[in-house]
Amino acid sequence: MSAHWSAWLLAAIVGLPLAMLLVCIWKGIRERMLPLLAVAPVPALAAALVAADAPPFVLGQGRVRLTLALDFPGSILLGVAALLWIVAGAYASTYMRDTPNRGRFAACWLMTAAGCLGVFVAADMVALYLLLALLTLGACGMVMHEETPQAWRSSAVYLGLALAGEALLLLGMVMLAQATPGGSLLIRDASAVLPSLPQRDVILALLVVGLGLKAGLVPLHVWMPLAHAAAPVPASAVLSGAVVKVGLIALGRFLPFEAALPEWGLALTAAGLFAAFYGVAIGVTQAHPKAVLAYSTVSQMGLIVAVLGMGLSAKETDAPLAAAYYASHHVLVKGTLFLAVGVYAATGARRAWPILVPVTVLALSLGGLPLTGGALAKYAVKGPLGEGLAGVLANVSAAGTTLLMLHFVHRLRRSASGEPGATAPVGLLLPWALIAAACIAVPWGMYLSVPGGTVANPLAPNALWAALRPVLAGAAIAFALDRWGGPLPRVPQGDIAVAIDAAVGVAPKWGGRLERADEVLRQWPAASLALLVLVIAFGVAMWTSG
Amino acid sequence: MPPMTTTPGGLLLVLAVLVPFVGVLAAFALGGRNAQRVAMGTMLAGLGIAIAVAAAVARSGDALVYLLGGWGVPLGIALRADGLAVVMILAVAVVIVGIGAYARADFGTPPGVREARAPLVFWTLLLAIWGSLNLVFVSGDLFTLYVALELLTFAAVPLVSLDGRAETLRAALRYLLYALLGSILYLLGTVLLYGVYGTLDIALLAARVQPEPATLAAAALMTAGLLAKTALFPLHLWLPPAHAGAPPAASAVLSGLVIKGSWFLVVRLWFDVFPDVVTAPSAQLLAGLGAAAILVGNVVALRQARLKLMVAYSTVAQIGYLFLMFPLALDPASARLEGGGALAGGMMHAVSHATAKAAMFMAAGVIYAALGHDRIAGLAGIGRVLPVSVLAFTLGGVSLIGLPPSGGFLAKWLLLAAAVATGQWWWAAVMLVGGLLTAGYVFLVLARALASGAEAPALRAPIPRSQEAVALALALGSMLLGLVAFTGVHLLGIGR
Amino acid sequence: MTDAATLFGLLAAALVGIGLYALIVNPQPLRKIVAFNVVGNGVFMLFGAIAHRGAGSGWGGDPVPQALLITGLVVAFPASALAIALLLRLHDVAGSATLATDAPAPVSPDGKAADA
Repeated sequence: MSAHWSAWLLAAIVGLPLAMLLVCIWKGIRERMLPLLAVAPVPALAAALVAADAPPFVLGQGRVRLTLALDFPGSILLGVAALLWIVAGAYASTYMRDTPNRGRFAACWLMTAAGCLGVFVAADMVALYLLLALLTLGACGMVMHEETPQAWRSSAVYLGLALAGEALLLLGMVMLAQATPGGSLLIRDASAVLPSLPQRDVILALLVVGLGLKAGLVPLHVWMPLAHAAAPVPASAVLSGAVVKVGLIALGRFLPFEAALPEWGLALTAAGLFAAFYGVAIGVTQAHPKAVLAYSTVSQMGLIVAVLGMGLSAKETDAPLAAAYYASHHVLVKGTLFLAVGVYAATGARRAWPILVPVTVLALSLGGLPLTGGALAKYAVKGPLGEGLAGVLANVSAAGTTLLMLHFVHRLRRSASGEPGATAPVGLLLPWALIAAACIAVPWGMYLSVPGGTVANPLAPNALWAALRPVLAGAAIAFALDRWGGPLPRVPQGDIAVAIDAAVGVAPKWGGRLERADEVLRQWPAASLALLVLVIAFGVAMWTSG
Repeated sequence: MPPMTTTPGGLLLVLAVLVPFVGVLAAFALGGRNAQRVAMGTMLAGLGIAIAVAAAVARSGDALVYLLGGWGVPLGIALRADGLAVVMILAVAVVIVGIGAYARADFGTPPGVREARAPLVFWTLLLAIWGSLNLVFVSGDLFTLYVALELLTFAAVPLVSLDGRAETLRAALRYLLYALLGSILYLLGTVLLYGVYGTLDIALLAARVQPEPATLAAAALMTAGLLAKTALFPLHLWLPPAHAGAPPAASAVLSGLVIKGSWFLVVRLWFDVFPDVVTAPSAQLLAGLGAAAILVGNVVALRQARLKLMVAYSTVAQIGYLFLMFPLALDPASARLEGGGALAGGMMHAVSHATAKAAMFMAAGVIYAALGHDRIAGLAGIGRVLPVSVLAFTLGGVSLIGLPPSGGFLAKWLLLAAAVATGQWWWAAVMLVGGLLTAGYVFLVLARALASGAEAPALRAPIPRSQEAVALALALGSMLLGLVAFTGVHLLGIGR
Repeated sequence: MTDAATLFGLLAAALVGIGLYALIVNPQPLRKIVAFNVVGNGVFMLFGAIAHRGAGSGWGGDPVPQALLITGLVVAFPASALAIALLLRLHDVAGSATLATDAPAPVSPDGKAADA
């Protein structure tokens, strides 16, 4: 009997947000849904805490079945993501209280939550695709919420790229499903059979591009700064915090870590480390604090992908767990920092310090400030990254992250509220404080369950010094840039997204040509002649090799 | 090999064809308001018969056969319902009932008038289309199929020009002439086949057909003629003005169902009569035309200024998907067309498109009646006054894009699997690009409808809630059609 | 007997060709309708030639194609009738009967297309 209820708890992870979404059809309920948003992720949190060993939840009898199951890395990410969704939901009920269309926002929020939390437990390919599609639609709705021209553009870029990525992912999954023995659609079975397939490289390429787009791997990251900066603050918090992790968890499940694939591992590691530095380089040129944070997400996602890549090339099956631990710290910290942007904007300069100090500490923890969760996270991924070039580069990127985070704090300070004595409402402060505390408490609490973890190791003096070095280096670079560096070049938000604008600009010309061709073909002589030509063409086609 | 004698339950096939036509005669004879009442009753009866046919086929596990007059083939005429026919009969019945429910508000005879032209014609011809479609699905020989095809065209053409404007009359005349050109080519092919093989019965022909010059000519003529009736690119000249100019209920039936009749015939011919005759190049040619339809149709749809024209061009594009399945069903080992995943994908796409496109035309019709125009640029804020219709339009569009759990997604999965299995990557790429382009115009309309900057537009006339409800129901049906994969029911393979 | 059948078959092919040419080339709808009838007659003549060729012992011709031919005539007749009816109506409404491709349809003003 106990097995029974925990499987239903897995179903409720997706079921509760979907049920709440269903009742949003009625306008009266929809308008009052905002305060209830924090309730939707509660089954997810409960499942992460108590149902880690739950049997899978299976829906359907035919050959095609939806399966939801929880593995250990998934449960870590599910728990912190659920926490972030709850906190952000509580935050949103105050922050979005007065905005028009809050009913629409609540509906999109629930769609995104259902999709995001569901992917962490999706065990078969159809469920994964279904939840990713739901997630994309909901996130698109949240990005365009404010309906400024920038929001429209960001959501269009996001939707187009997301759908393109999902199309490639679909093709890869169909190829995998064809090759899996017994017609099983489980990701676990597909991943097991993947290394031995003749089309292994094509499938891996499709999966990496499709899921990398969701995770923001350079150069597929262009939607991220646009979308995360354009969305309202609580939406950006969950988008940058939880939603980008779905690409990572899916990648971690598809990649065959039991088989050593050195070329693919090298490629992923290289791409990830490149992204880690690229995000920093572009991020320091941005002015808007949300854009800086978005580029920091690009950078951190790159690092996590590099961890997965090193694990893939060295046949380390623990790499997904280490990556999940690192990602869980990022979920919490990035969510806190985004929410802080909203809190700080409502706080006057005189009351700013109680907000600013924790924000600075947490921001630096992303770079690995000793004694914070970030240091633990960096220590946990030291194993997969190894001592070679990848490890060294990862250390250097920690310095870069510190630099970027100091730049963020610098930009944040300029966005304080006009009234010196203003304080943010309790509805914003309380959730923010809760998740800020979680940033420290949760990584420390979980550290013992991650491999390579004993309490003594990260507290050893040389470990503390090793963690402090990159932070000091980053701080030094920041100071030097501030003092002696000239103004940095202005890079537009979304950097290479300008290429998309150029492509979109040329499209109407080709569209016009096709339309004129269509008009020509729709003249009676052309169409009837085409009919006769087709008769002959079919005759010839059936005659050749017939 | 399907059975060659009348099976128990075969009478249902006769009823499936006769009941709508009896309804036509009764509606025309009784006239006035009674036409609508007769139509309603006939629709319920017809739906019941369709369900009974499906149940009989599923229960017996074999095709239903009825020999007209008890005379055996080749002299007599056989009606046959295998899995393919049953699926189409069911789908058509459901959509027709939905369209009937929708059209009650538009085509009611006004009070104080004994008989009005448009409602009488609409209800009569709706039943006639239904009967002709059923005849197309169950006919067992090629000449009966010709008669059914002509009946279908004659019933569909007047619906285009129902409002009597010059532009729709022109569209109807163009449709009729082009369709007649197509069917006369089909008849020419039939004549050639009779001349060579001495029979037109599908089952007998399947056994006798050889790749001779006359057979190749017949296959080419019949295929091309049917493509003209199905409006596959580049033979689509009549479709956009006809479907955009017709009243919304008529557009729904034209785009959703009438097109599927001639498409079903191509499937019948290629899979049942000519599986050994069609070659890889001809299948690739057919799919190539389909790919061109997808590309051109979607791009031109994106550029339309009017909603109904956009939906009509979307039909042009979706018809292309229906023809992508032919090379994917070609078994490379035996070099003949085998039913299987590709056939299932094509059928699923046909059914899903029928429901989704009907819903989209219904929603567009509601918007037109509410605003007095259907300019896409003028749709700003309509989502607030007509949320149900916008939702129906969006769900129908999402099904066409192919997002789960819609029928369009299941169809795309099956076709992609077939493309991967036969190594024909290019068709997979075409399908994925088509999905992206479809997403383009669906979200264009949705974004316009949800824009909150403008004031909510005023409604010209009150909209009957039943119309929006029917549109939403059909759209939901299309969205949930993919769930049939979970039920494990296999109808398509019966009797093949 | 075979010669007659072959001759009529060739004539039928010629009719079909002439009809198709006229159907493609003539812009006036009435001529298209006439051309369609010419093509139809060609096809029916082909039916007749096959009936003649397929004559068994004692019969003058295969009865099945004759039945099909008659049915085809019955189907082609309402086709022409419907086409001409549409043509006449178009002439009444528009004043001229041409199938010139429509210009992009202007937005219908209120009051028109009451059944939309």
